[in-house]
Amino acid sequence: MRQFFKTFKVAFQAINKNRSRSLLTVLGIIIGVAAVIMTISAGEGATLEVQKQISGLGTNLLMIYTKTEHRAGAHVRMGKPINKKDFDLLQNNAVWISKLSPLIVEVAQAIGPNGYKSIAIYGVNDQYFDILSRDLSTGDFFKDEDVKTAGKVCVIGKTLKDELFSDLDPNGRQIRIDKIPFTVVGLLKEEGKGAMGQDQDDIILAPYTTIQNRLHGHRSGYDIIMASAINEDHIVDAEIEATELMRESHKILEGEEDDFEITTQIELQEITGNVTGILTILLGAVASISLIVGGIGIMNIMLVSVTERTREIGTRLAIGARESDILTQFLIEAIVLSLSGGVLGVALGVVGNLLIYKFTNFFIPTAPYSIVIGFGFAALVGIAFGYFPAKKAAKLNPIDALRYE
Amino acid sequence: MTSKKVIETINLCRIFKNGDIEVHAVSNVNITIKEGEFVAIMGASGSGKSTLLNILGCLDKPTSGDYFLDEIHVNKLNKNELADIRNQKIGFIFQNYNLLSRTSAIENVELPLIYSKSGKFSNPKELAKKALEQVGLKDRIYHKTNQLSGGEQQRVAIARALVNDPALILSDEATGNLDSKTSIDVADLFVKLNNEGKTILMITHEPDIAQFAKRIIYLRDGAVLTDELIKNRSTKESALKELALTT
Repeated sequence: MRQFFKTFKVAFQAINKNRSRSLLTVLGIIIGVAAVIMTISAGEGATLEVQKQISGLGTNLLMIYTKTEHRAGAHVRMGKPINKKDFDLLQNNAVWISKLSPLIVEVAQAIGPNGYKSIAIYGVNDQYFDILSRDLSTGDFFKDEDVKTAGKVCVIGKTLKDELFSDLDPNGRQIRIDKIPFTVVGLLKEEGKGAMGQDQDDIILAPYTTIQNRLHGHRSGYDIIMASAINEDHIVDAEIEATELMRESHKILEGEEDDFEITTQIELQEITGNVTGILTILLGAVASISLIVGGIGIMNIMLVSVTERTREIGTRLAIGARESDILTQFLIEAIVLSLSGGVLGVALGVVGNLLIYKFTNFFIPTAPYSIVIGFGFAALVGIAFGYFPAKKAAKLNPIDALRYE
Repeated sequence: MTSKKVIETINLCRIFKNGDIEVHAVSNVNITIKEGEFVAIMGASGSGKSTLLNILGCLDKPTSGDYFLDEIHVNKLNKNELADIRNQKIGFIFQNYNLLSRTSAIENVELPLIYSKSGKFSNPKELAKKALEQVGLKDRIYHKTNQLSGGEQQRVAIARALVNDPALILSDEATGNLDSKTSIDVADLFVKLNNEGKTILMITHEPDIAQFAKRIIYLRDGAVLTDELIKNRSTKESALKELALTT
């Protein structure tokens, strides 16, 4: 152990003698480690952000829709459309599902007092707000009664309100959608960008019955049935139950495939988690390359150092250093170089994350494991790229080394 | 005299092969050096001085013959054991000092103790200081090597050779890079150390420096030509007088 400390001292002396060169060598590692930490953290930050937004969709969400397939570049519906029969069967029999709403999407022209816009109109029932946990900033949701009577009422989002009403209070005023006047009853609280980047406030919600009967003549099917499980723990039960009921409703025989699909919130999270996870790995891998380049820099300098110090190595061997002493000395030098680069790189990475937050408001929490990876990789690089020059130094013949000019 | 044999070689040979040609750099050398001796080895270049020194310094192994250093049969040792022998039994002094640059005198002198595996040197700093005092560099202990003159640097190297209390001090052209007066100082230092009981073997091609030793061995073509005691040893005073006459 004492021997080890002595060797450490010798290595430090050597590094200290060539301070500016050591610093320049270390720069490659500093940048590499900082890059690894910042890219991994950025990937993690993006994942967190997306996950947060998905859970913002409503915690126990299930979506039931007709199976589609890609055929010649277009989505082709493969099964029976989802309709009222399916909805009623679910509503009357499902025990693990607490709320249900149809969802019909129509694109139409909306005209307000101060502007107009072509926009997607969501036909839903009054439970939809609960399922997606949307709150109001002013006014009220439409009621069950409005759904039953196909009332010409709607709830709108902030973005649309700004375009159609400017600064006017929209509540009680009218929007004309395909020439039919709808009375605005409520303004949704701002939600911001959704998980896929869509603006969740650029929206009109109206009773689905109104959309079905008044907007486009008669339309019987739904695009999606939105549902929420009674709680998070029973989301899987709810999915199994909904699958059984849907198969019954669509008269699918045993052994036949479902002609519909059910996506749950958990699956959504898994999918996006996978995508961002792959992205993080990819970014980290690219950053690691810069670490390897830094390692080659260390090897380069160590080889120069060995050549430059051939006489010194000869002297050390002559006065009684063993090969292993020389090997460890140069290996420790390389490791000390790369580790100090690692320490500085970690600092730079953490500071870099904070700076990004300061200037772009995109919060990147420094992932602890990225520090471990960055630092560990730096140490590994030091050992891997330091070994060859150290071995070369240790294998020098003392007689030749002593006379080296 | 019944003192210990520090060096004993028996039919020592070192043959280099260069393609089909065999070069006998050292052939059948039999030398015995006892404790407390001060021996100079001389010879023209190519006479095998350096090869012999490498073997005696345990940096190289003989092709045949036996070498005993401080009564240890060196032929049989492996690389690590040779390193330890160099560390414990030998103090090297080189023509170009071979000090660590930009490093203090004391750190240079400490170096052999740092590599010591015996654990018998508990206080390397103290020992290094003492060695530096011995060579007259008491007030240069913390000077960096590049702040010292050639003569002072060689003294640091001598202190480094002394610090581990070796059985043998091996000097390879120690005065080769020094001016005449400084050379005399260094030779005088050898005499002083020899008087204190150190066994010294020095290789030199300067006859006036060799005259400081007690015994002189001439090599020619790898073999011992003459081996005799010196009757009129030089002293610092006589050498300086000579120097004044010739310049």
